[in-house]
Amino acid sequence: MRPAEPRPADRTGAGEPVAGAATSGSRKARDGRRAERLAPYVLIAPALLIIVGLRLWPLMLGVNFSLTGDGERNGTSVGLDNYADLFDDPLFRTALRNVGLLVLLLPVAVALPGLLATFIYLRVPGHRLFRSVYFFPAVLSPVIVGAIFNLLLAYDGPLNAVLGGAGAGPVDWLGDPRVAVFAVVGVHVWATFGMALVVFLAGFATLDPALLDAARVDGASLPQSIRHVIIPGLARTIQFVFVTTMIGMLTSMFGLLYVMTGGGPEGSTYLPEYYIWVQQGQMNRPALASAASTVLFLIMLVVGLVQIHLLRRVGRED
Amino acid sequence: MKQRAVWGAILVAGLVLSGCGSAAEPDSGSGGSGGKLVVWDWKSGDASAASYVEKAKADFAKKHGGVTVEFVAQPFEQYYTLLGAAIQAGKGPDVMLFNGGGQIRDRADALLPLDEYVGADRQRLAGWEAFTSGGKTYAAPVTLQGHPVYYNKSLYRKAGLDPERPPADWNTFVANCAAITRTTGAKCFAQGNKEGIGIQFFLSGLGSGILTPQEYDDWIAGKRNWTSPNVKRVFALWKEVNDKGLNNPGANSTAMFNDAFAVFQSGKAAHVIGLMSDVGHWQDFAEFLDAGNVGVMKSPVVTAGTTPSLPYDGGIGYAVAKWTKDPKVAADLVRSLTSAEALTAFYADAGAIAADRTIEVSGAGPAVATIVAAIDDGKPALHVALSSKTVDLMGRLSQQLLSGSVTVDRAVQQLADSDQPG
Repeated sequence: MRPAEPRPADRTGAGEPVAGAATSGSRKARDGRRAERLAPYVLIAPALLIIVGLRLWPLMLGVNFSLTGDGERNGTSVGLDNYADLFDDPLFRTALRNVGLLVLLLPVAVALPGLLATFIYLRVPGHRLFRSVYFFPAVLSPVIVGAIFNLLLAYDGPLNAVLGGAGAGPVDWLGDPRVAVFAVVGVHVWATFGMALVVFLAGFATLDPALLDAARVDGASLPQSIRHVIIPGLARTIQFVFVTTMIGMLTSMFGLLYVMTGGGPEGSTYLPEYYIWVQQGQMNRPALASAASTVLFLIMLVVGLVQIHLLRRVGRED
Repeated sequence: MKQRAVWGAILVAGLVLSGCGSAAEPDSGSGGSGGKLVVWDWKSGDASAASYVEKAKADFAKKHGGVTVEFVAQPFEQYYTLLGAAIQAGKGPDVMLFNGGGQIRDRADALLPLDEYVGADRQRLAGWEAFTSGGKTYAAPVTLQGHPVYYNKSLYRKAGLDPERPPADWNTFVANCAAITRTTGAKCFAQGNKEGIGIQFFLSGLGSGILTPQEYDDWIAGKRNWTSPNVKRVFALWKEVNDKGLNNPGANSTAMFNDAFAVFQSGKAAHVIGLMSDVGHWQDFAEFLDAGNVGVMKSPVVTAGTTPSLPYDGGIGYAVAKWTKDPKVAADLVRSLTSAEALTAFYADAGAIAADRTIEVSGAGPAVATIVAAIDDGKPALHVALSSKTVDLMGRLSQQLLSGSVTVDRAVQQLADSDQPG
């Protein structure tokens, strides 16, 4: 943010250098230097103004708003009451617990496209077909995906019919609070892993095939090749997929939740962003929703910083 | 590294400073420029509402020729979110559509009391209570919304029961259901509680057969006795109905809109507690079952000594924002939107029970006739009297009751705790 060179001691104004008609050589040089010193400020100004005006300022307004009341106390300062309400609300605690669950499920969501991309890279029979089939769900909107799986996972739907044919009892996929959250996350992974798969395939393009050939000549098995050649070679790609998958899980499951469970059953599939929407739009508690947004922001900040830290460490290893 | 720390500190300090201080100024600003009124709703975009809007506009033009009216149809899923933002900003539409009950009561402080303007419509229209808060009326009703118990007459006939004499008490009702299930395989109730709405319909649909008239009126008046055995009976019965297999399987994962209605329409269940207007109602059911097969009954008597009645409220109604420039003109627009002519068009095209008692409905089949005949003795629906927070909690608790993860006593206790004024 700050220019590297020291501040000019003789700076008098902040304007652009005026090109005079009769200026001495030294004056010209001084103006040139000043322009050079000002250039960084001018160049970063648009980006800075956008970030401050459209990001930080609204963010502060939001934080400020979260410290005011709802309903009858609208507009009055209530301190941290909204935050106390928030952590008192079992629904919000469920939403936070579900965020934790998503973090735990993250390795699965990354390993799946990684493994499938490996098979495609190793040219299993039909790999061209699989490549397009795997990518297909990524072009569907969450609403359509949700509607499809609503039908498939219905209590009297085809999946339970298949289970029934195999002699297993029906599972209430979207009606059992212990199952529903996994069903929704599973569908989200199904709907989005195509993107990660493509990223992995791009990563494979940079992998030196000679290494794999050498491993094969040395008699390495497939698991050994994956463990010792492919994973180290794709370290950066894997990190990137981790970051993007995490962000996707935390910020873009609203559509699926809205269509598939509406936060239910028993509030078991709430995520913070769904909670924010319900409080603001349905319960008419915008200040409480702002408080929840602030908490979500802090969570994302921590997650983001941790990920940047990890990425940087991997970059250094390279 | 040091530099980043400095910037971090500045950011945090800024956030904290902005947090300590001022709050947003409530209710400031004004909308609605001189010769124009803006109306927000989620109906006017539908083809079925076109002639209603046209009639209302024509009626308004007779009174205020120089004022233009602009209808802005918002998507319903986002409606209250957008409206909330407008209210927070203190500017937005002059006239807006509301659902009765919690949705309008929660926002009453942004609305203009209409009592002095709508006096002449009091008698003609029904359903004012749903738009009343603290003794003041904030909107004029367009449709009535309620929860009749619909039944499939052809299933009754197949089971050897008289479809014109629906059961009057709960034991007969359950016995009839057993007979229907035995002969046709159809379940007793089509139930959808995925959104937590099933319990709302159940509470209101059967409440007048469970609570005594005194308890019922007290409930509506806000004096709810959650320790009463009859109130507990509502939730115990909700669980019992499911446990005894009277509902379609998987009620917690069946959406009321519109999977549960589909179960009823396809003859897989004999009864459904439906709606009076818009969807899940006589018109939808008649499309699949034939109008002559759609019956409407009052709640069976569950507790001896109760007098079942039709539970209904104002369904949707138009309100006027506090910030409008000329309240009289905006109120006149609301009156035009609820004029007899406009409402007749709405009833005919949109398949809604309009709030106007004077509309002729005899041509629409026996179900409508039964519903309209019951309006005069009807009472406000029980769930509409609850705050949206309590209704939301009730939805989750009802799912827990069905799955067995909470007891009736605990659920009612939680509802009692939530149902505190203020």
